[in-house]
Amino acid sequence: MKAEGDIYVVHRLLDEQICDSEGRRVGRVDDVELSGDPPRVTALLVGDGLYPRRLPRRLARLARRISGPERWGANALRIPWEEVDELTSTVKLRKKAEDLGLGMGDDPAHWIVRRLPWN
Amino acid sequence: MRAILKIALGIIAAIGGFLDIGDLVFTTQAGALFRYDLLWAVVLGVVGIAVYAEMSGRVAAVSGRPVFDVIRMRMGFGMGLLALVASTIVNLLTLAAELGGIAIVLELLFDAPYGMFVFASAIALVVIAALLPFGGIERFFGYGGLLLFVVVATVFHQNPDWGDVGRGFIPSIDSSTLYLYFVVGVFAAALMPYEVHFYSSGAIEEGWTEKNLKENRLNAIVGYGIGGILSVGLVIVSGYLFHPIGVQPDDLGTVALPMQGAFGETGLLLALGGMLFCVGGAAIDSSFAASYNLAQFLGWEWGRYQGPRKAPRFTASWLVFLLLGIAIAESGINPVDITEYSVVLAVVALPLTYLPVLLIAGDRSFMDRYANGRIATTLGWIYFAVIVVLALAAIPLLLATNAGGG
Amino acid sequence: MAALALVASGCGDLSNDELNRGVESLSALAAQGQLVANGVARDATKTTYARAMARTLGEQAEHEAEKLADATLEEPGTADQRHAAVAVAGEISGLLSELQTYPGDERHGELVEKHLGEAQEKADAIVAQLSGDAP
Repeated sequence: MKAEGDIYVVHRLLDEQICDSEGRRVGRVDDVELSGDPPRVTALLVGDGLYPRRLPRRLARLARRISGPERWGANALRIPWEEVDELTSTVKLRKKAEDLGLGMGDDPAHWIVRRLPWN
Repeated sequence: MRAILKIALGIIAAIGGFLDIGDLVFTTQAGALFRYDLLWAVVLGVVGIAVYAEMSGRVAAVSGRPVFDVIRMRMGFGMGLLALVASTIVNLLTLAAELGGIAIVLELLFDAPYGMFVFASAIALVVIAALLPFGGIERFFGYGGLLLFVVVATVFHQNPDWGDVGRGFIPSIDSSTLYLYFVVGVFAAALMPYEVHFYSSGAIEEGWTEKNLKENRLNAIVGYGIGGILSVGLVIVSGYLFHPIGVQPDDLGTVALPMQGAFGETGLLLALGGMLFCVGGAAIDSSFAASYNLAQFLGWEWGRYQGPRKAPRFTASWLVFLLLGIAIAESGINPVDITEYSVVLAVVALPLTYLPVLLIAGDRSFMDRYANGRIATTLGWIYFAVIVVLALAAIPLLLATNAGGG
Repeated sequence: MAALALVASGCGDLSNDELNRGVESLSALAAQGQLVANGVARDATKTTYARAMARTLGEQAEHEAEKLADATLEEPGTADQRHAAVAVAGEISGLLSELQTYPGDERHGELVEKHLGEAQEKADAIVAQLSGDAP
């Protein structure tokens, strides 16, 4: 079921598990991008930089101080809707996680590099 | 034939894995303080955990979604995060209590310092978790826990007044706050949230599908049901031996005394051995539950079946939780006290875990024809109401009774 | 939770109620100690278990003694009972420490069981006095 038709975005898409083409769990739908009129989902937004958006205002301010601002391509990723393969019990992508910059947190090399002081 | 055997083995593991330090402590204290009067609360708790375990296992098998997956979907990020934080605190306290419990039992068996055994037991857990596959871990502790059937033998050996025992199963409300505190404690000890977190994630670890639904039902209803007999037995043996002479069980070691009274050293060793496996299994379950929840909430790759290489963040978080558990257990607080806090705080976290499970299990768009039927819906909502009431009462009771201290 | 722990440890003033509760828990410790000692007397226990249990119970009795001795009494009429309670606590912890030293000796087990029984009776008598049931 690829969503060319209508879906309840909040019920069926937001917060769902994302898996890549090989079935690896690579994150959750932290937010969605809507555009056009009537609005259509044009991208999934993923990353811990987006968590503050999902919190009540006061907590969001605190969370933003901890996580820093949204940095696109780093702690916030945009996955174009075209990359979505199907919606089952998960959101399945057409490509492997690496090709979309997802699931880096499970890459030990990434951990080390991200924590180096000169990074 | 082989399929039946496999199901039977799973049920037996569920029976043996039913008890944890919270059950051991609260049932023994309840018996000592109120004799058989709280047996009904034990039964209420056992039915409750069976209902919710069956539901969460069914959701996992049919829709592939474990509990924290469901929580984030149904409650959104903000409320889901609250559930995550609350569950993690409770799971960590539970883990610390179970680690402390292992150390106490080892101390009773081998007479060496407690602090050393906390470390040794944590290392043993890491080794067991690393060497055995998921199903093996469950069975190792589950079968070992069956040693505790010595409790049931003790009940028959004591041969209590069965009429008195029977009357204990009829709900009665005594208005003393201490009694109400123990109603909450005994009930909550049976329904610790980590059990459901672990059970539903376990269904995915084992690759369950619709085909395993019968197994799921038998595990939850028969396995937990028979496991509940152990809780009932603990109340009875304690009520029989401790209540008349006014013993106040504040230590884990006291739990084994009735079995020593009945069967001497053999009874004692069976009881301590069973306790060791039960508490050890619960330490594994609660530590895994903490990492399952975190990974599922954040969408990380997770699972013992993936191996540490494929799920590094999950594995690393498990080790971190274990270290935090050790730190709390080593702080010198009596594990029985940690247990009481973790059980009572668990009641407060329970509604956040159970509401989403109940909602998804009844949602036909996810569950199709496997959605809750009339019985599951009715029981589910009744229990949810009970849980909410107890959650509201838990903290005031904890404060009013000084954590059961009277 | 730290605050709770402080409340639970109950330092400071000792009301009649708290004194009563303290003596009751001494009686409970003696009762449990008798069960452990009985296991030793019948050679129906494991020495490591008897020793560790005796140690824990003994520590609790000692702790109870300290609590009773340190606190200021709210009601001056109960000084005698407090004094007696501290003595019983000392007796119980002494007996348990003997059990801890000889967890494998049946003869010691028997004696400790008997004396703990007597100590429990004393504690119960104090409770009765405090609640005004006694002559």
